Amino acid sequence: MPAAHEVYVELTVNGEPRAATVPARTLLVHFLRDRLRLTGTHVGCDTTQCGACTVALDGVAVKSCTLLAAQADGHEVTTIEGLADPGAGSLHPIQQAFQDEHGLQCGYCTPGMVMAVRQLIEDQPDPTQDQVRHALDGNICRCTGYQNIVAAALSAARSMRDGAARAGGTDSAADPAGGREG
Amino acid sequence: MFPTDFRYVRARSLDEALDLLDEAAAAGDEAKLIAGGQSLLPMMKLRLAAPQVLIDIAGLPELSGGGWYGPVAGGHLSYTIGALRTYRELGRDTLLAGGLVRGRDESAPPHQAEGIPAVTDALAVLADPQVRARGTIGGAVAHGDPAADLPAVLLALDAEVVIAGRPGRHEHKPGPPHHLPRAPRPGEEPSNVERRTMLLDDFLQGIYATDLAEDEIITHVKITAQGGRASAYEKFPHPASHLPLAGVAVALTFASGTLTDSGGRVTSLSDGSIASAAIAVTGIATRPYRARAAEAVLKGAFPAPDVLAAAAAQVARAGDGTELSLLGDQHASAPYRAHLAEVLAGRALARALARAESA
Ligand SMILES: Cc1cc2nc3c(=O)[nH]c(=O)nc-3n(C[C@H](O)[C@@H](O)[C@@H](O)COP(=O)(O)OP(=O)(O)OC[C@H]3O[C@@H](n4cnc5c(N)ncnc54)[C@H](O)[C@@H]3O)c2cc1C
Ligand code: FES
Ligand code: FES
Repeated sequence: MPAAHEVYVELTVNGEPRAATVPARTLLVHFLRDRLRLTGTHVGCDTTQCGACTVALDGVAVKSCTLLAAQADGHEVTTIEGLADPGAGSLHPIQQAFQDEHGLQCGYCTPGMVMAVRQLIEDQPDPTQDQVRHALDGNICRCTGYQNIVAAALSAARSMRDGAARAGGTDSAADPAGGREG
Repeated sequence: MFPTDFRYVRARSLDEALDLLDEAAAAGDEAKLIAGGQSLLPMMKLRLAAPQVLIDIAGLPELSGGGWYGPVAGGHLSYTIGALRTYRELGRDTLLAGGLVRGRDESAPPHQAEGIPAVTDALAVLADPQVRARGTIGGAVAHGDPAADLPAVLLALDAEVVIAGRPGRHEHKPGPPHHLPRAPRPGEEPSNVERRTMLLDDFLQGIYATDLAEDEIITHVKITAQGGRASAYEKFPHPASHLPLAGVAVALTFASGTLTDSGGRVTSLSDGSIASAAIAVTGIATRPYRARAAEAVLKGAFPAPDVLAAAAAQVARAGDGTELSLLGDQHASAPYRAHLAEVLAGRALARALARAESA
């Protein structure tokens, strides 16, 4: 196959197969926003530093502003729109925690924060506050001062552990890590 | 921002990728390989790079994999890492991070891998989780960034770079002494891909400059395991870019020997003195370098506080003791970077020693 200005890309986005021919220089974030009209994924910088564009590529959080749509060909992408279970009619526990803990002000960074927290909790289901702050190294918020974002991440991790414990048939009250801390 | 227009092609094999590089060169096009894209795409978005052809090597089977091989001549095990292994994958590798490793033979007991803590130190403070999920070891080495973290650690571990190209194109510097080119097996087809191995120290040349020719591809990075346990990496990051204003990697080995008496009792003769010290510095000069003047202070010495301080005081000097020409910019002046390197060298040495004692 010779190198081409236009590339045909076929990928799965939020569980649905999607295909299009796009200019080779199309960044994944522009493909998602402009082609698929999935505008939950934001662009906040030109330097790969802010994390507002975070999505999951084959289940791993990446910055969609620093990935060509062509590189995502054949892969699976999950955006903020695909995070909550569509059948449940409710928010994903991480989204719910951001609402409960008031983990946002203007909301611009929020989709990226939520997608980064999803990765954190998958890697470390019971993170410390330090681990949360470290895991959010690639996400910038201009409004909140991070305090409530960290609180939301910790609270989401707790509720997801409780949920997993219930699903596993264990009594969550017996889980010493469960329940709210002081 | 998005990059200027270019043509894109995904290579399916190493051979095809080398062909694509040749085709672009024949057409007079500037071609670039793209692996994780975490250095190249940011540069293309800012229009600091504008290749006409982008060759995606992310799917090449010849650049993945890796594992322990050996022993190579000289008796050391070597750990080979495929160029496409991401920072994230390396951070989760039990052989590097230390931990229980099971072989393919399920009945064999697992063995405890020592790990190379300097690598895990660097991976924990390098960039951010999303960038680490995409960035590759091959890209980190090929990019030639004077402030890259992982190349400093790899330098301290005497890492080697394995490079593939077409046979007979380049005059190659001889590889490391223990590296013997493999003779073709009887009946094997002559390969149209030639591999050369060189020390990372010879490979890195200057600001974004390496020994890699435009028609070559890095396939692997090799670490020869010695002194891995007593190692550490310390950096002072720029708060926005996370790149080190200064970073120092240290790997130590200690004098050792055993005496077996007539009763068959084995006594360790290790006296705690340092047999070899490898110290690599990044972020302060035109390329990550080995601080050989500082290493010389430690070789054969006992790691007393005054000796460690004397070594750290030499990290910004060349092997012959002369001042290196250092980088300074609006973020940090050259003397400040040199000061940071000295402080970080002291911390890295202390951490490596503490790890040696706890082993
Ligand atoms: C926000 C941000 C923060 C960062 N922070 C840090 C940091 O703290 N410390 C640090 O060390 N780095 C940092 N980096 C840089 C990062 O580590 C990259 O240098 C690394 O990811 C490059 O690997 P890649 O696979 O992404 O390379 P690419 O971007 O794909 O390629 C980089 C260069 O290497 C060439 N190349 C890639 N693979 C090969 C190969 N196999 N053979 C030959 N040539 C090849 C390409 O042609 C290109 O010229 C940061 C980057 C970003 C965006
Ligand atoms: S828009 Fe992707 S990191 Fe800022
Ligand atoms: S809530 Fe405004 S940027 Fe984070």
